[in-house]
Amino acid sequence: MTKKTAVVVCPGRGTYTKTELGYLKKYRPRFAGELDPIDARLAALGQPTVSELDSAEKFALKTHTPGEFASTLIYACSWADFLAIDRERWDVVAVTGNSMGWYTALACAEALTPENAFTLIHTMGSMMTGGIIGGQLIYPVVGDDWRPNADKRELVERAIIEIGAVPDCEAHLSIRFGGYAIIGGNQKALDLLMKALPSVDEGKYPFVLVNHAAFHTPMLTETSARAFRELGSELFQAPSVPLVDGRGTIWQPYSTDANALRHYTLGHQVDATYDFSTAVGVALKEFAPDALILLGPGATSGGALGQIAIENRWWGLGAKADFTARQASSPVVLAMGREDQRKLAAN
Amino acid sequence: MSLSRAEAVDQNFTKLVSSGQLPEAKTHVSAEAVTLSPAEIVDLFETQVMSRHLDYAARALKTRNESFYTIGSAGHEGNAVFGKAFRYTDMAFLHYRSGALFIQRSKQLPGSTPLYDMLLSLVASADDPISGGRHKVFGSKPLFVPPQTSTIASHLPKAVGAAISIRRSQDLGIDSEMPRDAIILCNFGDASHNHASSLAAFNTASVAAFQNVPVPIVFICEDNGIGISVPTPPDWIRTAKGHDPVIRYFSCDGRHLLDTWRIAEAAVEYTRRTRKPAFLHMKTVRLFGHAGSDVESLYNPVPQIERAERDDPLLHSARILLENGILSAEAIKNLYETMRRRVARIGEETIPRPKLLLPHEVMASLVPTKTRGAPPIPSEEKRQKTFGSDAKYMDKPQHLAKLLNWGLADVLLRYQNAVVFGEDVAQKGGVYHVTAGLWQKFGLRRVFNSPLDETSILGNAIGFAHNGFVPIPEIQFLAYVHNAEDQLRGEASTLSFFSEGRYTNGMVVRVAGLAYQKGFGGHFHNDNSLAVFRDIPGIVIACPSNGADAVAMLRSCVRAAHESGRVVVFIEPIALYMAKDLHEPGDGGWSFMYPAAHEEIPIGKIAVYGGSSSKGKKERLTIVSYGNGFYLSRQAARELEEKHGIAPKIIDLRWLAPLDEAALARECEGSEAILVVDECRRTGSQSEAIMTALVERLDPLPRLKRITAEDCFIPLGRAATVLLPSKESILAAALDVLGLGAAKPKKGTQAKVLAK
Repeated sequence: MTKKTAVVVCPGRGTYTKTELGYLKKYRPRFAGELDPIDARLAALGQPTVSELDSAEKFALKTHTPGEFASTLIYACSWADFLAIDRERWDVVAVTGNSMGWYTALACAEALTPENAFTLIHTMGSMMTGGIIGGQLIYPVVGDDWRPNADKRELVERAIIEIGAVPDCEAHLSIRFGGYAIIGGNQKALDLLMKALPSVDEGKYPFVLVNHAAFHTPMLTETSARAFRELGSELFQAPSVPLVDGRGTIWQPYSTDANALRHYTLGHQVDATYDFSTAVGVALKEFAPDALILLGPGATSGGALGQIAIENRWWGLGAKADFTARQASSPVVLAMGREDQRKLAAN
Repeated sequence: MSLSRAEAVDQNFTKLVSSGQLPEAKTHVSAEAVTLSPAEIVDLFETQVMSRHLDYAARALKTRNESFYTIGSAGHEGNAVFGKAFRYTDMAFLHYRSGALFIQRSKQLPGSTPLYDMLLSLVASADDPISGGRHKVFGSKPLFVPPQTSTIASHLPKAVGAAISIRRSQDLGIDSEMPRDAIILCNFGDASHNHASSLAAFNTASVAAFQNVPVPIVFICEDNGIGISVPTPPDWIRTAKGHDPVIRYFSCDGRHLLDTWRIAEAAVEYTRRTRKPAFLHMKTVRLFGHAGSDVESLYNPVPQIERAERDDPLLHSARILLENGILSAEAIKNLYETMRRRVARIGEETIPRPKLLLPHEVMASLVPTKTRGAPPIPSEEKRQKTFGSDAKYMDKPQHLAKLLNWGLADVLLRYQNAVVFGEDVAQKGGVYHVTAGLWQKFGLRRVFNSPLDETSILGNAIGFAHNGFVPIPEIQFLAYVHNAEDQLRGEASTLSFFSEGRYTNGMVVRVAGLAYQKGFGGHFHNDNSLAVFRDIPGIVIACPSNGADAVAMLRSCVRAAHESGRVVVFIEPIALYMAKDLHEPGDGGWSFMYPAAHEEIPIGKIAVYGGSSSKGKKERLTIVSYGNGFYLSRQAARELEEKHGIAPKIIDLRWLAPLDEAALARECEGSEAILVVDECRRTGSQSEAIMTALVERLDPLPRLKRITAEDCFIPLGRAATVLLPSKESILAAALDVLGLGAAKPKKGTQAKVLAK
């Protein structure tokens, strides 16, 4: 049987919510050996293991959302899902990710060994233990039909510029996330943005992302410097599968300079806009996969992937209705966090 | 079934990498000797492989009738190095074997999708991000690659202009497209080296650099030894260029990545540091013929073809990777096959992408749209200061040459990015003094003499326009355009079209032209054919008949060039430059006041003179003309009125393209008779279009007649005007079309020298 091709997409922070409790438990058994070292490393650090967090009775903001705990938990879920992809059916032609999903992507593409992946992800996830720098809010830039909407985009861009110019305010575009802009800034700027941006979707947006720092903005430049001090070049190696980063640069297996990869990962990736939309757009155009496989936990990035496909008019998708219909008949975004779609991707 | 050459080369790669029977190095450079990391060497090789698989894909898609272009880059993949050695902000004018160069260059800019974009171009999809499905080109706005089509060295003169413009933009403090330390990359084949355009470009670059004008350009001659079927004499390029006194010669083995890198790095460093031109001679091979349709074995013996195939740059690169222990044979083959599958998948994805189907879709980018606004009109104080001692004459009517001179000064004052250049335009002030004194007002950086080479004058204008300027080049005489017409026809006027409006090269080409010059004749100084411009899509042709119109039209032209990147040809009737009078000596009938600073005449707007004064009354005669013809028609009209009591309406078209046919028809509607007076030759002149438009649009059709110049070249001396419409012949034709039985003009009065 001819294999189908897929680009794997690794999700970012905020994807493990109360509905994901037990996710690892559900899918872990077949990969126990792969995930045990993560638990062991966390236990050695005196921190709750991902298994413990996953099997907690209740989802608690305090234990499940701070970066130092959430990052490894999300990574563990994603990694387990990556290992579950049915390689008899799917040929993974490239890997990309959103925000911290980039670290997971590095692991999936073997640019980091599992041990080094843990080191990187735990270190980066723990950067805010001494206090979170700034925060993030999310706001839609597409219409209800998911078509790109220049007015909405302009509204957000203008708000960032205008509020960023207010004394004692910092606001930056943190992530281009399909139909959403994620804005990073300090508290004062975020407060002003919450007031300035018109409320949409019955008051759902603008929405502040709990316990998220202003990653991918210049506010994290110091964090980037610290990451360079703490994470050496020995952690990185060339990937075995092409990677597409948060600028849309492709890192090919044989031609990747591990030092350059480290430089991007700890530099630009930390303190400049993460362009997830371009990353996925490049992956679609330059690898032309049959599908995008979105690793768990959760499936919330599926909408963003649909929006990016629409933005690129990929797979003949012109609007949300097309995407919904396509997903119902022969899905092109396979979210492993959804049982129905997982069956199509996993063995 | 026998293999195609492309299939043979493809199979050879895998076979020879597996067996290790790779070609021996012609040049010996080790990986340690160059400033490239192993990863970078693999990256270059990978680009070569990407380019090669695009060539294969183009042919595969062609067999399915899905691709429309098979001229490939095979054999030239060494140019990947140039994609790395130059910055992506170094504007690149590329020939059609630049696949690897383009891919490597795009790797400098995150988010680029070169494979997808180039496949879109191959299948002529409207989604192609540079030409929008209009041609297979290498081009990109963010990568500073203006698209070129079937380059036959016609891109070299503009590359030189772009190079000269870099420093000039800094000196003048204008908003330029390129950074201040940019250099220009311009590549072409060994056959193109023969072309007049390339020789013009080398010469202009040399002449300028010889005078210490910065010309930071690297000419790259990718010498595959053959121009379609004609071999370039062995060693000819080195012989011709190896000892150039001004352009520094570099030479590399294009089959050898490391040698090419070493030399390219040196050439780029030389030009970036010294701002002087360099000539990089890259020797290579051509694989699988000129294009997909070319059967190379018809003119090239098979052993020779096979010899080139064994010298495949990809095989040389594989050897370099193996002998330096960078990649194993398995890894090389894996990379090669993985890329094949990737390119094939993308190809399938591009096939169903939308195509241009309707005429208006195709034509949408012929005329570029406005991208920037005109600067404000300078203060009266500044203007007066600029006009200097001339200011005191500005309340008196003046002739065309003087008014144009002031008009140019006004334009140069307002548009700080405007430059005037051409033969003699500076100290001499142009042949007819239209540019007199401008260099003193605006400096030699804005008003400068060019070498006597129209190809370079127009080509350099294109290059300047690529960098944010509004060039106003002058061509001394209309006939001189002809040796350089491709720069307008094939290059300037096509840029917006082939880049879907992403690139424009707005300019106003001033051409002194048309016949009726007093005192002497001769074809080259009295050429009266505008046919060379008339059929160029999207171009504007202005032809004022008087000084006031000329100034107001010039302002519109410069605005259109600046705001929308329009390419304008501005024809100035030489014979009217100094004409002051209309009917009698001293009547001042052709002297006009200088138009106020804000006055402009919109492109296409015609002028109407005379005619019946009472509204609704039918005209007995309408004369349609332009330029000298309009001037003579005005003279004839007075006589017609005085002797025959008929006051005709006279239309001055002013703009020959775009011709406002609807407005023309409206003005002619109801007229009993129409006479078209065209000073240009009968064949190919605008009167053909005017007559056609009137016939198509007027119902009932009035009596129609035209009078034109004869289909002949203009002779010297007293016979210079005998072939041309005159006041007398216009009058006779008017009476004839009115049915008043005019006698034919007396022999010898067919035409008289103007204002004799």
